[in-house]
Amino acid sequence: MIKKEIYLDYAATTPVDPAVIAVMIECLGSSGDSANPSSSHLPGRRAKARVEVARSQIAKRIGVSSDTVWFTSGATESDNMALIGAMRANAHRGRHLITSVLEHKAILDTAHALEAEGTEVTYVNHDSDGIVDPDQISEAIRDDTVLVSIMHVNNETGVLQDIAAIGQRCHECGVLFHVDAAQSTGKVALKLEDWAVDLASLTAHKTYGPMGIGAIYISEGVSLDPMIHGGEQEGGFRPGTLATHQIVGFGKAFELADPDSDGPLLAARRDRLWTGLNAIEGVFLNGHPAQRSPHVLNVTFPGVEGSSLQLALANVAISAGSACNSDIPDPSHVLRGMGLSDVLAESTLRFSVGRFTTEAEIDYVVGRIQDEVPRLRALASGAPAWTAS
Amino acid sequence: MDYSSEVEQRFLSPSRVGEFEKGTPGLVSGEAADRTLNVWIRFQVQVLDGAIRAARFSVYGCPYTVAAADWAAEWLEGRSSTALEELGMLRRYKKLGVPVEKLGKLLLIEDAAAACWRELDGLERQKRN
Repeated sequence: MIKKEIYLDYAATTPVDPAVIAVMIECLGSSGDSANPSSSHLPGRRAKARVEVARSQIAKRIGVSSDTVWFTSGATESDNMALIGAMRANAHRGRHLITSVLEHKAILDTAHALEAEGTEVTYVNHDSDGIVDPDQISEAIRDDTVLVSIMHVNNETGVLQDIAAIGQRCHECGVLFHVDAAQSTGKVALKLEDWAVDLASLTAHKTYGPMGIGAIYISEGVSLDPMIHGGEQEGGFRPGTLATHQIVGFGKAFELADPDSDGPLLAARRDRLWTGLNAIEGVFLNGHPAQRSPHVLNVTFPGVEGSSLQLALANVAISAGSACNSDIPDPSHVLRGMGLSDVLAESTLRFSVGRFTTEAEIDYVVGRIQDEVPRLRALASGAPAWTAS
Repeated sequence: MDYSSEVEQRFLSPSRVGEFEKGTPGLVSGEAADRTLNVWIRFQVQVLDGAIRAARFSVYGCPYTVAAADWAAEWLEGRSSTALEELGMLRRYKKLGVPVEKLGKLLLIEDAAAACWRELDGLERQKRN
């Protein structure tokens, strides 16, 4: 039996896992661990202990020491902290930043804001599969380069960057390296310390945790200016009362997010979906066919306008472009950056599978799309060639 | 995106899609496109004795464009051929539940109907001459 609504937008956000909800509830209400974790009394110390357990769960999942993980409101705030904080704290070393055109808006808009303050930004190239060549990073690094920021898993295409290789290049040149890892946890392994990453952005809500909580990894010895002021919490990097229930949920979500168990299941669902969609004439996959996260599938349906296909599949939650941008009529900057025309970019949908996606749901969606694409193409019978190129 | 029930219903079940069989008497057609708006629309109408007997359309575009083209084809049927120049989408887009930022796409529907009118006018001039 197919549910009335099918959710294939796990890259936008994930439902909170029941086990996560259970531990969050333990931190709410008068009988729970709801005291301020900065308080010195016993309830406060109990809350603090739960926060520290969560910090260690997160640190373990990403391969770092727990005293390098600091809580924020989410990956966007962490991205801002990493870029602005590192550029300001290291202004004596230079004012040059390197990133790529395929980054999330949280990076690109922050880079633009830094440009307005006088930072020079180099946007490195990538190939048509969306892969950034680590050698291009080496070539772009200058004497005054302070920071390189490259995302791990692209939120629109699922393409994976070779973070270890880029980290090595940055390390050799003495340049700080930031990774936006918002999409990674539970899908692919994260070994930030081994990969010579200095700064990383994380979020809970894309890994079956609650919205509104994230973290920044700041490697030992890295200087970062805080963006907000008002207390000593989180090492002074991010003052403000800690949200115990969200942090505890975040920790539990990361404890559960094992790529060794979730990854193959996600890949099987994604591959089943692609096998079905690939049977439709003319469709193509965007992004590298192998170097990719197991949860995202970005597919172009030439000759079909994307918002029309979305409405035709109204009971299936999918995104045109990235969720953050899907209310914006401009075609995806990521797809355009990978060489797609505006028309093809607008004929593209992002599907993302998750822990709760079933084979029956995949088969249902494939069947619906196999019906709707020919119907919409027939509606446009006789249309000029540009509508499919 | 929240669509009005009329837009949704017309998009999901358009009733005048396609074209007439070759050789159908009184056919004129017209099309309009704007690549920057991602819209292409073609009308084919059967005009007999100065009246539009039937209309068909083909369209590439968003659900609003498809729904408005379906509405336009329905509205044209049974009217005088001068209706091809009187679609008046500026007056009707709100009633259809189309947001103002999509109005540019709907104006192409007017252009396609007007192209039918120009073809019809040309044919009638030829007949008179």
